[in-house]
Amino acid sequence: MPTRREFLEHGGLGFGALALGDLLRQQATAKNASPGVGELATRPPHLPGTARNVIFLFMQGGPSQLETFDRKPVLTRFDGKLLPRELQDYDLAQINTADATVMAPRFPFGRFGESGLEISSIFPRLSAHADRLAVIRSMHHDLFIHGSAMIMMHSGTQLLGHPSIGSWVVYGLGCESQNLPAYIAMTDGIFRNGASMYSSGFLPAIYQGTDMRIQGAPIQNLSRPSTISSTAQRRLLDQINAWNRRHRATRPGDSRLDARISNYELAFRMQTAAPELIDLSRETRETQELYGIGEGKPTDRYGKMCLMGRRMVERGVRYVQLICGGWDAHGDTEGNHAGQGRKVDQPIAGLISDLRRRGLLESTLIVWVGEFGRTPIKQGSNGRDHHPYGFSAFMAGGGIRGGKTIGATDDFGFAAVEDKVHVNDLHATMLGLMGIDHEELTYFFEGRFRRLTDVGGQNNLATRLVRG
Amino acid sequence: MCISGPAYATRLLSCLLLCGGLFTTPRLSAADGDPAADAGPHWSFQRPRDPKPPSRDSLKHRKRIRNLIDHFVLARLQSRQLPPAGPADRRTLIRRAHFDLLGLPPSPQAVKQFLADSRSDAWERLIDRLLESRHYGERWGRHWLDVARYADSGGYETDIYYRNAWRYRDYVVKSFNDDKPYDVFVQEQIAGDEIWPDNLDLDPRKVYKVSDKKRRHLEARIGTGFYTLGPQVHESALDARRLHYETTIDWVDSTASAFMGLTLGCARCHEHKFDPFTQADYFSLHAVFASARAIDLPLWTAMEEADWRQAYPKVIAVERARRAYRLFESRHAGKSLTPEQVKQKQDLLNAVARSVLALPERAAGQFAVDYAGLMHKPVARVLARRHPSLIPPIHLLLRGELKSPGQRMDPALPAVLATATDTPPTLKKPFGSRKQLALWLTRPDHPLTARVMVNRIWQWHFGRGIVETPNDFGRMGQPPTHPDLLDWLTARFVADKWRIKPLHRLIMNSGTYRRSSRFATAAHLKNDPDNSLLWRANRRRLEAEALWDAVHVSAGTLNRAFGGPPVVPPLAPDEIASLREKWHWTVSSDPAQHTRRGLYIMVRRNFKFPMFEVFDTPVTSVSCPVRDVTTVAPQALWGLNNKSVIRQATHLAARVVTETGPKPNQQVVRAWQIVLGRPPSDTERTQALALLDDLAGGKPTPLDNTPDALKSLSGPRQQALVQFCLALFNLNEFAFVD
Repeated sequence: MPTRREFLEHGGLGFGALALGDLLRQQATAKNASPGVGELATRPPHLPGTARNVIFLFMQGGPSQLETFDRKPVLTRFDGKLLPRELQDYDLAQINTADATVMAPRFPFGRFGESGLEISSIFPRLSAHADRLAVIRSMHHDLFIHGSAMIMMHSGTQLLGHPSIGSWVVYGLGCESQNLPAYIAMTDGIFRNGASMYSSGFLPAIYQGTDMRIQGAPIQNLSRPSTISSTAQRRLLDQINAWNRRHRATRPGDSRLDARISNYELAFRMQTAAPELIDLSRETRETQELYGIGEGKPTDRYGKMCLMGRRMVERGVRYVQLICGGWDAHGDTEGNHAGQGRKVDQPIAGLISDLRRRGLLESTLIVWVGEFGRTPIKQGSNGRDHHPYGFSAFMAGGGIRGGKTIGATDDFGFAAVEDKVHVNDLHATMLGLMGIDHEELTYFFEGRFRRLTDVGGQNNLATRLVRG
Repeated sequence: MCISGPAYATRLLSCLLLCGGLFTTPRLSAADGDPAADAGPHWSFQRPRDPKPPSRDSLKHRKRIRNLIDHFVLARLQSRQLPPAGPADRRTLIRRAHFDLLGLPPSPQAVKQFLADSRSDAWERLIDRLLESRHYGERWGRHWLDVARYADSGGYETDIYYRNAWRYRDYVVKSFNDDKPYDVFVQEQIAGDEIWPDNLDLDPRKVYKVSDKKRRHLEARIGTGFYTLGPQVHESALDARRLHYETTIDWVDSTASAFMGLTLGCARCHEHKFDPFTQADYFSLHAVFASARAIDLPLWTAMEEADWRQAYPKVIAVERARRAYRLFESRHAGKSLTPEQVKQKQDLLNAVARSVLALPERAAGQFAVDYAGLMHKPVARVLARRHPSLIPPIHLLLRGELKSPGQRMDPALPAVLATATDTPPTLKKPFGSRKQLALWLTRPDHPLTARVMVNRIWQWHFGRGIVETPNDFGRMGQPPTHPDLLDWLTARFVADKWRIKPLHRLIMNSGTYRRSSRFATAAHLKNDPDNSLLWRANRRRLEAEALWDAVHVSAGTLNRAFGGPPVVPPLAPDEIASLREKWHWTVSSDPAQHTRRGLYIMVRRNFKFPMFEVFDTPVTSVSCPVRDVTTVAPQALWGLNNKSVIRQATHLAARVVTETGPKPNQQVVRAWQIVLGRPPSDTERTQALALLDDLAGGKPTPLDNTPDALKSLSGPRQQALVQFCLALFNLNEFAFVD
């Protein structure tokens, strides 16, 4: 009797049969793996991609497009005035658009590089990389609340239980590291929404991101208890393995038993590899300064995370998620964004420079985005509220040609109007740059083939970004 | 977001592709013996038949037959020329049966008794005994909770706590223990309130006592808690319409997945292209739930409430006194006290005693188990009727979008299934349609309900269903590997009044269940690598809860208390680091609660108990029919380094010393028996002793809180024994059931 897998491979399937068959085969074989083998074995992409790794710089809280990458001089003219009639129909979560007043951008913009890319003054160092950035000004979705919007940014839907993009990437491409997880998430604060920010959802749990901490034991249960020495634990492990191999010998045809044995070895190696990963003392002073690392500096924390991100990429970690909180500027948008800029500008600029000089930028895709933007109208005396109808993101590295701007919002920065890029489109683009066709990366769950981009992703920018 | 024109066309096309809509093949397979091969409705939409088992004479491996199940299974194996494995030995069988029915390992004593039981029906007696254990319901209730997407909180950013979800959990456990007929179980969950409308208001005939009938009716209503514990976007209270929509959509989808074994989600956005369900079917079912809402149902009488009002301030006083005492203790922990402080401490203790003495003799309310239960009014979250004027109209939503309502829908059954059961599809409105749905689903000739449950039970016994996709009996699901067996078992199940325990007996008494797992030939692995034809037993890794329970049983620390609010064991700092709202994991103040069965540990949608996360407990956003079983390095890290597992290894070491004394040889044998249910071989024993010697050679660091029993050993010997016990918890033999 043919199984579903055989059916998909041979019968009646008119699309993507090959790739699907391959993925389903891996899905069907026992769910055992350690990085680099079994389900996590590296796999060729569907198409030649330009990026091998991703560093996702997630700006939690929602940075304002109007104070970063989307210059709107009209707002200055309308400062303190009511919105034009035609924009008053927009349904916002908390502000009544009809009696809200416009707030002028809080920072001047400049034009940088040969391309003349427009960037606000909160990112002076990043501006030096203008010709390496592709700015998207037409990001949009329709969720106003941090929780749902963050789930949307990570999994392409607002519903719980769907895999995050990092899990999809590892599902598609496998893991290159022998001693470290394929997908690592770090935050400078605490994960909002719990594990949904790096969850594997309905994909098998081996694709789950590992949350790694900057201080202390970077991974759960990584530290050997103080009551046992490394030598003693090695001795213990050898005996466990010997007994497990003996057990295995009389139980034919069960690969899970082998996988368990190799996982104990991997776990032992991780005890050395993970602390080594976050140990920045081997980096030169110059490198540390490049990222703004230094006691008491505002850039210290995110700088360390960015440098660890580079070290992860060097060690074959496929997908790195670096979350920077604090962008939720309801009150003093100006003060908030000036401070946030001080926190991340140098670390991100340093990351781009460092990857570049090491020859890693071409294969490492950097994506900068928050869960939404902020309103052109004022909240309270000088704040801005959540705003998902039009906001900005940028990408760098991973083979893209920088110095370009994609899409536009209306004159007031209210809604994306030109070349709109939905979250599904952003995800399709990221997968595309990694050589994955977002329509073919599917997983059968609850009666249907699931995609990261669900039924969206038609505006895939990948080819445009790679072209000059 | 509104999509129109070409963009919509492209999106719809994508969706159809994903939903399998463009498949031109009308059915998944046309294989031998598969009813799907016949023309006409899909096999699972036809009434189950009662096929005759293949005759005994037609079978080659007659020695392997123990009951009629084997006739079906052996016939299939014979047709593929795959001989079955022989029976498993008794030690394997008792371990298998214990984990399977109770989720707990057998004690060395139980193993010994079973091995010595030479009666011909020793196995049958063992099963009967296990089915009578109250731990049975904890094990099998947990299976159902996977299907019911059970959790104690709503998920999303706020992850609101469902204070009373546990009442539904306990209801499920009790239902399994009572062997409640499955049709009643389904009726109670879907429409307990409509079928048995009742409350605890004063009964004119029995003023001081609530009648048993009333209690039963109340329990039936708690069953509807099934609907009240789904995921909830609490923040979207900003948009009440969307909140209501998301909540009730979960009700429709969960009803279809759990009770009907169907995934209807596709029909929300467009006509189901593979199964004969339309958007109208979907929203008609949605309309069935429109008249329901979740309420907190008081679980006590007016008299009891009056009692509580009187007792409550006194209960609070006890709690205050206790807290003051605990605070003092924690402030002065490990310090020596001045005479003044000693007196202070004694005063605080006396205050606790006085406040307890002030309490009435008996806790008010039959539902409050103890005084702690009196801290909150006993209520259960259940379904009830909406006020008729507040029932929202249900529309067919074009493309499944709330902003595009189409025609207004009335409650109705899915057309194709109504036809299959000769039932008029139209249901009552505004009330009574849930009752009709529940009664229709539990008709003995319903094509899905009994089959779906029989398949689940088979799957929970064997690790894989006769239909490999238990929540999808539609055309996108897998066809049954043994269609006749499934129908035959279904007929037995319904004839046995939908009782589950007789089905356990039937299955476990088969030769198929009792096969050895330690068998394979190249031919078997080539022709049926997944063992879908059951030529051997499936070796199964312990689920997260079973592993947790087994560790604690071995250590002798398992607290076998039954039911009640979820418990919260302590976590190491690195385990809790990723949780934003630390108070979401407020550790149970009573340490005895930290070693309860895994079933009782708090299930937060946003923060899984870390050990459970690593060992694959289900995602609770939708019904989970089959758990993943992954093998990943963090499992090994847990086994080697986790504080709580090391603590249990310490308890096991202490237990071994208490039971055997200071001699390493006896310690090894005893530990081996406790953890693995067998004595070590000579080689294993020698290796274990060498390991103990080597580990004792190092420099000792003092253990935390060394149990007294261990203090009879020297420092290095203590640690060596603890590490040896830890090694046993890391053996595949421990983590897998043959």
